[in-house]
Formats: sequence, C-alpha cells, structure tokens
Amino acid sequence: MKTLSQLKEDFWPIGCVWLRYFDVYRKNWIYGLVTTFVEPLLYLLSFGYGLGTMIGSVEENGISVTYRQFVFAGFVAQSCLFQGFFEAAYGSFVRMYYQKIFKAMASTPITLSEVLWGELLWDATKGTLSATAILTLGSISGDLSPIGSLFAIPLCFLGALLFASLGLWMAALSQTIEQISYPQYLLVFPMFLFCGVYFPLETLPQNLQLLASFLPLTALLSLIRCLTLDFPFQIQALAVFIFWLVFMIFMSRDTMSRRLVK
Amino acid sequence: MAASLEVKNLTKSYQRKGQPPFVAVRDLSFEVMPGEIFGLLGPNGAGKSTTINCLTGFYPPTAGEILIEGFDIHQSPKKAKQHLGVCSQEDTLDTDFDVLDQMLRYGTFYRLDRFQIVKRARELLETLGLMEKSNELIENLSGGMRRKLQVARALIANPKVLVLDEPTTGLDPDARRILWQLLTDNRKLGMATLLSTHYMEEAERLCDRIAILFQGAILDLDTPQKLIEKHIGIEIIEEEIRPGVFWKRNPNLEDVFLKLTGKSLSAGEES
Repeated sequence: MKTLSQLKEDFWPIGCVWLRYFDVYRKNWIYGLVTTFVEPLLYLLSFGYGLGTMIGSVEENGISVTYRQFVFAGFVAQSCLFQGFFEAAYGSFVRMYYQKIFKAMASTPITLSEVLWGELLWDATKGTLSATAILTLGSISGDLSPIGSLFAIPLCFLGALLFASLGLWMAALSQTIEQISYPQYLLVFPMFLFCGVYFPLETLPQNLQLLASFLPLTALLSLIRCLTLDFPFQIQALAVFIFWLVFMIFMSRDTMSRRLVK
Repeated sequence: MAASLEVKNLTKSYQRKGQPPFVAVRDLSFEVMPGEIFGLLGPNGAGKSTTINCLTGFYPPTAGEILIEGFDIHQSPKKAKQHLGVCSQEDTLDTDFDVLDQMLRYGTFYRLDRFQIVKRARELLETLGLMEKSNELIENLSGGMRRKLQVARALIANPKVLVLDEPTTGLDPDARRILWQLLTDNRKLGMATLLSTHYMEEAERLCDRIAILFQGAILDLDTPQKLIEKHIGIEIIEEEIRPGVFWKRNPNLEDVFLKLTGKSLSAGEES
C-alpha cells in the first residue's frame, strides 16, 4: 500500500505535464473560453430553446421530460465527446508530430508514460470544464437536477477521458493530420448523431438501437440522464462505459508509445 | 574516478515486417569521464542518433546497458535523467512558450526551485546571447537562435552528463564559437559531454576522445591526434585541389575516416 507521500511522488510529474497545458490555456484564455464554451452554448440555444419550444416533451424508458431537458443532458455528453476527442486527436498530433514536445519532455526526469497521462488528463479536464458549464446552466434554468449535476461532474471527467483516449489513439495511428478526419467523420459524428443526443434511441430501427447501445456515447448519455433527469439506472450502460474507458486508455497509451519508441 | 556515462555492449535493432531485424548499432562500449568531451563521429546513417536515443532512455536497447552517474537509464530512468541534459538533433522547442518561460518550464521538470531556475536560465541566455530575446516567442527566433536555445535548455539543470546531437548544425561561425566556448567552460566544471557531430573540425577541436562510428559499429576509439597518427601518420599531405593547383596540409580526421571506411564524412544515407 502506497503512502500519501509516495502517491504525491508518483503524481507530481503527471501534474507538471498537466500544468504545462493549463498554463498554455491560461495564457490564451479568451481563445480557451471561446473554444471550450461557445460551441455547446450555441447548440443549447438552437436546439434547447429554439427547437425545444416546438417539440414539447419526449419519452424514454417510460420517463417523460421536456425536449429542452432531454437535449440539455445530451449536450453535456456531447461536450465530453467533442472537447475530449478534438483536443486529444488534433492537439496531441501537433504536439507529437510537429512540436515534438512529447519527446522533449520525456528527455527530462519525466517519463513518456507520465507525459501521456498528463496529456490525457488535460484533455479530460477541458471536456469537463465544458460539460460543467452546461450542467451549471441546466441547474440554474431548472432543467437538470442540481444535486445530480454535481455528481455528474466526475462522470463527465471519465467520459471526456474516454473520448480523449480515443482521440490520442487515432492521433497515434494517423500518418498525417488529415487522416484524423476519418475517425472524425466515420465514428465521432455518427456517434453524436445516433447515440441519443437529439432523440430517444427507441425511435431508431431495432438493429441500429442494438448497435448504438454498444457505443460509449450511448452509455455515457444513459448515466448522465440517470443522474440529472432521474432516468432509470442501466447496469449494462455502466458495464459498456467501463469497458470502453479501460480499452481506450490502454490502446491510446500503448499505440502512442509504440509509435514514439522504436 | 568513476565514469559519468558508461555504455556497455549496446546493441539496438529495429523490427521490420516480413524482414529480419535491422541492426542499427552493435556491441558499442565506451565511457565518458567527468570533464571529458567525447565525440561520436560518423556520417548520416552510422547509428549516432540511434545510440543517442538509447542513451537518453527514449529507445530501449536490444542488449547491453547504459549507466548515467551509476544509474541504469532504463531501470532507474528518473534517477539517471536527473543528471542528464539532452539537445536532440531535431527542433523540440515548445512553441507555446516564450524563450524564458521555456527555460523555466523545463527547470521545473527537474524539480529545481524557482529562484535557482531563474538565475540559471538568465545566466545561460546571457552566455548564449539570447537575453534580449527572452520574452520573444520561439517562432520569432532565427534557426541559429533556436539551436542555441535548445542547448541552453539542455543545460538548465546543470547536468553532470550532457548529450548533444549535432548541436552546431545550421549555426553561423560566430554562434558556433560561442557554443564551443560554453562546452569548454563546462568541461572545466566537470561536466561529461557526449557530442555527436559530422564536422571534423569541431570534433578535432573539442573532443578529448573520439569514437568513429560506421554502419553501427565503432571502428576505432582514441584521441584525435592518436587516431591520425595511427591511421595516416604525421606526414604533410599534398593534394591537387584544382587542376595544376597543389595544396599542402596536415592530415586530419577526414583522412582517417576515409581510410577506415572508404567513404567521406559527408557521405551516407539517412537512417
């Protein structure tokens, strides 16, 4: 069993890497705020307050909520997906391939493994910031449960970590930055459109429903709606979520290490 | 006196799909003593960068071991790298920070206290003529300035072992001389330096000992003078530099290299 000081010793280098990203974010804070918060807020205004007033209510798993509540929770998960994936995929490709700072940092007493943890944790932090902004708005507007929203923050961190790991994995597999567009268009956008952000999964054909239920965004959405809208807890969603989280973290770190270390 | 850097029977091979592994370096052994500048001299593709990637802990060796101040770089990377400064061949400057911030950030990776880092960073920037640029972004620096900054960053923690992979490539003669002086000063302070270069003048001028590396193996290892005496002799060489124009000169490492490998130092393929 590790003592607190040993744990601090283990996490210090990862914290150093995380702080490097945070300092860059803080230096360009206007850019950071715009890229983190504006996009999900625009979606909210358009779909939540625009389309939401026309649709009225929706029903999923026997629970009826207003469309605005439904997409509010959807956008929380979507911000984990977009912020986590894009920061890790494009950002880490630039840092690994063009700036070569993974290698530079790993030439110091910080190891490559710690550099990659720092990268993933920062990407997850960025996704969490964005998701937290939506959770806060949702709580203030009365659309989401304030207590549930509070509990959803660590879940959002894990969700953003999952999608950041997907992004890092794709960056490690891509030979050029353009190649990241393939998973973006073939995986991220379809997940965003068909995993239940905008409409209940029950409206999809049976086969698509089954496919969607195995995707990580569906699982994350189910857990977020459970916490923030009192939807029923689904154990299979938790199992799918944990499976993808562990799998993605392992694949991203392993593939990136193999790419850098020959 | 114990060696600061010890390389024992280092072999590194790369796996290739459907082909036997490519052996980039085979059975290298050498040591660098405190206060010594040790040169790795060889053309592109000789295995210098592979050796350096293994020395700095980035690539695991296929066989052999590397000790920095007695710590195995792959078994105890944190302890070993605490004594190591690295300037790699490629530009690895962090373009998100300005010149001084870059230095400070890397100092924190070595757990130095802030006062110590700021003092050391200012000294190094002053020595290398970069102080006026301390608040500039990296993208505003010339190629030579970027190279000097990368060397300065490698020195931020005042390492006992400094590894420089072709540090003067792209530097103008003035900048090159400043860097040479810095390395000479560090030698006096007991820093062990491993210098990879394909500039024979640089190797001859700076290095106490030189390993001639070719096709992944050390062909010979000695002081520059002894290498020349052993392989070429001390006779003045006369060569025809243009039709009918003859030039007399002292033998040099290029001649040694040519004799040992049949190739000039500038020849070879990128590995």
